[in-house]
Amino acid sequence: MDLDHSFTVPVGVETAWAEFQDIASVAECFPGATVTGAEGDTFSGSVKVKLGPIALVYNGSGTFTEKDEAAHRFVVDAKGKDKRGNGTAGATVTLTMDGRGDSTEVKVHTDLAVTGKPAQFGRGVMQDVSDKLLGQFVACLEQRLGENGGATSAGVAAPAGGADQAAPPGETPADGSGTAPAAESTPPPAESTPPPPESTPPAESAVPPVESTAIPSEPVAPAAPPPASAPRQPSPTPRGSDDALDLGRTVLPLLAKAYWKQAVVALIVIIVIIWLIAR
Amino acid sequence: MIPAKFDYVAPTSVEDALSALAQHGDDAKIMAGGQSLLPVLRMRLNAPEMVIDLGRIESLRGVREDGDALVIGALTTHAEMVTNDLVRQHAVLLSKAAAEVADSQVRHRGTFGGSCAHADPAGDMGSAALAMDAEFSIAGPGGTRSVPASEFFVDLFETAIGEDEILTEIRVPKKTGWGAHYEKFVRVAHQWPIVAVAATVDASGPADGRAISEARVALTNMGSTPLRARATENALSGAAATEDGVRAAADQAAEGTNPPSDLNGDADYRRHLATVLTRRAVLKAAEA
Repeated sequence: MDLDHSFTVPVGVETAWAEFQDIASVAECFPGATVTGAEGDTFSGSVKVKLGPIALVYNGSGTFTEKDEAAHRFVVDAKGKDKRGNGTAGATVTLTMDGRGDSTEVKVHTDLAVTGKPAQFGRGVMQDVSDKLLGQFVACLEQRLGENGGATSAGVAAPAGGADQAAPPGETPADGSGTAPAAESTPPPAESTPPPPESTPPAESAVPPVESTAIPSEPVAPAAPPPASAPRQPSPTPRGSDDALDLGRTVLPLLAKAYWKQAVVALIVIIVIIWLIAR
Repeated sequence: MIPAKFDYVAPTSVEDALSALAQHGDDAKIMAGGQSLLPVLRMRLNAPEMVIDLGRIESLRGVREDGDALVIGALTTHAEMVTNDLVRQHAVLLSKAAAEVADSQVRHRGTFGGSCAHADPAGDMGSAALAMDAEFSIAGPGGTRSVPASEFFVDLFETAIGEDEILTEIRVPKKTGWGAHYEKFVRVAHQWPIVAVAATVDASGPADGRAISEARVALTNMGSTPLRARATENALSGAAATEDGVRAAADQAAEGTNPPSDLNGDADYRRHLATVLTRRAVLKAAEA
């Protein structure tokens, strides 16, 4: 399903753009999200969706699949798997910024796909739920931009300008140096900040764990493949196998209990038939 | 599917239930009739560590009169709401709406309070309670407070009940002698309504003109909470209880609503349904 949101913030487009360079802090704006690891253009973490009767935990990761500095547009692709194996959720978030002098119009388009049981839950409830969660996500982004853009615009704007001049899209450094500076310059939010408590309201998680340090000095590589980060990343929350449903173990004893007589009779019949044939 | 493992406690008083809730906090889930919670657990859309069953708290059951209001225990089942004489006499809309909730089995387990606390925007009892200007008594660690229906339903599956609170009673002002009807549109029998309309009207004036002196209309599944159709209510005041008399008022039923779009119908379709169903509901309510 496609969901669209837009808002306007009272900061210039460069300032707004700079605010969004740290993928981890963008991800943490999602209600209930905890970022457990971030490296370069990729992050991993979990999202706890809690709404009325529903409480789901998705573990997954996300990547900047596209970052167009000239057009002020980026695309984040996030995928998650329900902790209890019920289904998956995937989202492609396209964020476009339009500078209008002192203010910036931000458009957020989300293509959301939820599979498994949650998708079937009563009518189209998941759509309502998704729309509401995304509304909170966008409100958080808006608030971050409003607060930080306004309050710390000077501090953020300077490095943003520097980053622009230092690494214009054209001057892409060689491959080897591409990932190394990224690894150095990107702060590990999981270490520097305590993970926000579950179901933190957007207002609280809006306080960014990392600000100006987040301006990445790595090259802007459109559609860059995610860095080979899997081995180095802190692994996401270990998947609990304790509550996983083992159908065989649950059902077999019941079957054995219910049908042992029939099984014994069948065995005897088979033996008799074999004996008859053998004779 | 089989729910994830959870602990279970069935206190016999509201105080015990509140202390159990305080003890387990976010990991606990309150169960009334279990008709919404159990499917959620079975689909593993939730896995609370503790389920607090209110089913053994007798003080939460039953209907009593208190001056010009009825006090309905939160654990009163839909089936009881359908047949209870006090409800039929003084709040017949609740009785009619309860009769339309899901199927007979659900009505015998599901409760009025549970349905309201669940706050499914497609739930039948929420809009009926809203139309009746019900007040919700919510017990918490600091005592009991009362919340009017207009403030009780906050958002999708979200009510004014706090994490450490329990809905105990619903207080409904008597509408003795009013007619009522709950018009529910479903594609599959016993399913959630695509749109439904709860209407109760006072058409007890002089028999010759059969005019409506006062009306209350609330909409189900036309937004993230039950909604009152205020424009329609105002227009109905003094209208003749005839198809033509009601039509113009009913046409305003969807004013100010923002209904959802899904496979069952888009927002425009729902707005149209709301006007048609409102006309039917009001007419039937005026006849009754």
